[in-house]
Amino acid sequence: MSVSRRGILGGTAAVVGMGLTSRHAAAQQPKTMVLAASGTPEGFDGDVLRPGTQQTVVQVYEGLTRYGRVEKDGHIELDPTKIEPHLAEKWETSADGKRWVFTLRSGVKSPYGNELSAADVEWGWTKSFAQKRTGNFIANVANVTGVKALSQLEVEFTLSAPSSIFLACLTLYTPSIYDSTEAKKHATADDPWALDWMLTHTAGYGAYHCESVRPGEQANFVANPNYFRGPPFYARVIYRAVPSPASRITLLRSGVAQWIDRPNMQQIIDLRSDKRVKVEGRPGRAMMSVRMNSTIKPFDDVRVRQAFNCGIEQGKLVQSILLGTGDDAKSVLPPIVADYDPSFFEYGFDPAKGKALLAEAGYPNGLSTELIFSDVSWWEEQVAVQVADQLKSIGVTVTPRHITATEMNARGAPARQDMPFFTYEDGPIVLDPIYTLALLADSKGVSNRCQYANPKLDALVLQGRTTLDAAVKHDAVEQAQKIWMDDAPWILTCYPQLFEAMGPGISGWVAYPDERVRWVDLRSA
Amino acid sequence: MNPVRFLLRRAVLLVPLLVLVAVFTFSLLRMGGADPSAAMAGPTGSAQEIAMLRSQYGLDRSLPVQFAIWVGHVLQGDFGRSWSTGKPVLSELLSRVPASLELLLLGLCLGCAIGVPVGVYTAFHRGRWADHVARVVSLFGFSIPTYFLGLLMLLVFFATLDWAPPGMGRLSLMLTPPPTVTGSYLLDGLIAGDWEVVYSAAAQMVLPVLSVAIIAAAPIVKQTRAIVLDVLGSDHVRYAYAQGLPGGRVWRIALRSAAVPIITFISGELTGLIGSSSLIEYVFSWSGVGQYGLDAIVRGDFSVVQGYVLMLALFSVVVFLIADLIVLAIEPRARQLA
Repeated sequence: MSVSRRGILGGTAAVVGMGLTSRHAAAQQPKTMVLAASGTPEGFDGDVLRPGTQQTVVQVYEGLTRYGRVEKDGHIELDPTKIEPHLAEKWETSADGKRWVFTLRSGVKSPYGNELSAADVEWGWTKSFAQKRTGNFIANVANVTGVKALSQLEVEFTLSAPSSIFLACLTLYTPSIYDSTEAKKHATADDPWALDWMLTHTAGYGAYHCESVRPGEQANFVANPNYFRGPPFYARVIYRAVPSPASRITLLRSGVAQWIDRPNMQQIIDLRSDKRVKVEGRPGRAMMSVRMNSTIKPFDDVRVRQAFNCGIEQGKLVQSILLGTGDDAKSVLPPIVADYDPSFFEYGFDPAKGKALLAEAGYPNGLSTELIFSDVSWWEEQVAVQVADQLKSIGVTVTPRHITATEMNARGAPARQDMPFFTYEDGPIVLDPIYTLALLADSKGVSNRCQYANPKLDALVLQGRTTLDAAVKHDAVEQAQKIWMDDAPWILTCYPQLFEAMGPGISGWVAYPDERVRWVDLRSA
Repeated sequence: MNPVRFLLRRAVLLVPLLVLVAVFTFSLLRMGGADPSAAMAGPTGSAQEIAMLRSQYGLDRSLPVQFAIWVGHVLQGDFGRSWSTGKPVLSELLSRVPASLELLLLGLCLGCAIGVPVGVYTAFHRGRWADHVARVVSLFGFSIPTYFLGLLMLLVFFATLDWAPPGMGRLSLMLTPPPTVTGSYLLDGLIAGDWEVVYSAAAQMVLPVLSVAIIAAAPIVKQTRAIVLDVLGSDHVRYAYAQGLPGGRVWRIALRSAAVPIITFISGELTGLIGSSSLIEYVFSWSGVGQYGLDAIVRGDFSVVQGYVLMLALFSVVVFLIADLIVLAIEPRARQLA
């Protein structure tokens, strides 16, 4: 058998043709966005955060309230000081702040055509209470003990104590507000909350709806035709699994994908000079922290913790790791949270002071320790190496040690917290100072991770949580920041900016505290 | 040797091998100290929630008890549930097997189609320019990292030349897969008569299959050349030359003698290729077993990793078994030794 030249050319042309068809297929579809992610969503239950869940449930489930919006430097940012009605139209509260009644917006419909009702809100919260997972955590933080439908559009929340963060917590995607009429159709006696169905289906009142999922390959989202704020710009979002970060960047550069999972810092720097791609940055909310366990020697001595903070040059970290794009950390609160006060930060790079503090603590000749890091966050190894190098200035020998991400998460969990000195990144998903303190600094905070405990700070957090007086709350936040800074349970380093890389024509990105883009905000030129 | 007896003997040997693999994988995973319950609970997971998950997944029990429970379930065909997807491991693995097999077998076939003739030709023309060229090219195939090769293919043939589609999986973005019969989009597209799917599946396959073929061909060229050279220097081939047999007859005698070691080598190559093709799956978003296994390792998804390793072990054993059967069929001496 012989292969003719014409045959070879024809075959090549066929493959070339197929290639071109694929490259431009999505672009030819009107208002379709292709999003290249590390994997497809492994479930759509906001209470059970599986890979890809958080990225997609925020598109489907929206809150009773939402943050206000302000224009800043030509783009929209959230205003955490203003809480606006969203799925709820209005609300009233009792004098003691323990009973809230929300009136839902009428005429809000899910993609299934069912109208939003108070029973939907009750069903979603009851589900979260029963599952005792993420939604239950939010309920506990906000002091919510019960939710009850009073009428078709009126729903009552009962709180164990007044809560200053309650309305901000209602901006979240969980406890989710489901189209319970649809969800109940898929519930069984063994699965009363239709959790199996929710692995591959959605039923919300938000802007998007999951049309289909091919696990490991692709999920297709379509705009909710009944969305109460009008149709989103993108009628369809193709959520394609592209596990290789380098492949995702190639797809973005080629125009096949318009949005990709967040690249790392070096990739962001490279992409910023590429005209085929648009990169935008916003202030970050999670510190690249190095934490010291205050129950384990030598970190049980506050002078050691303070000394370590005197051995760090934050500016150098910003330059070498964040390539000049981040902000110095001066408080446990990120700068984007209200009542952030950097004035209590009294450390800075001062090796003489650091050595003196170590000598006072009984370490005149310095000390040696291990710094544990993992791959949970992209910056950890770089910070561990830099911190180890910088702490030589106060006579401290640090040996960085790598552990797996799974081990890091396990050892940093509330049940263990057994690492003496380690890197970690946590940030608030509610833009509120008391929520942030309760999460990171309170002795029972789930993201404390280093067994830091100060009863005075705990009392201030409780006071701030249970008051509706803004001045009292502000005062509690101020005092708590000062106590935390004096106790120095972390080495304060810096806040990386939040960057997103997208197609050059895309606009409208708004940064949210959960660091997940809302597709409904996006537009294309 | 009766082939049925041969198969039964091999099947008996399979049991201790799989037990060893299971014990080894289970111990390695657990000895690492990793505990997925914290990851499952998420960033806001409380101590109570983590304890609940540990209990739910049996992670609070002793290691021997956990192992015994797992083995008991595996014997009933239950490989457990993935904590990251919540789905049964076995069905998740099986649903991805066709994609991996499609890539692996096509890549290997193409690799053999290139590697064996080139290896034979260079052996018969040792020291000539074609031999030198083939050795340099196969050295490239040997030395290029798999991951980099995949990215290079994308960069050249997709991003620069625009000859091939993007590495975004097995089917174009806009197409819906055909009804599942074999699990291969190409075959299922043909069965359904959906030509758009067939074209798209074929186009998506070009670069990943070519990448696997390049990785497979390099050692096949080298080994085939060495085997054939060895056979050409053997007494019976020299005797055949001395007898004055025509070149074509000598070729046939030499190739028949070389066939057994080449088949044995290729079967070993196939099992070794699974690791490389996992990386190719990763680069081209192929959604096969390899990509699934790599993700599970990174996530510490114990049940999936255990099922994945056990499946690979079983696959290797089956491949060697098939190779042995082929050797039995073409080599009379092997029947006496078996």
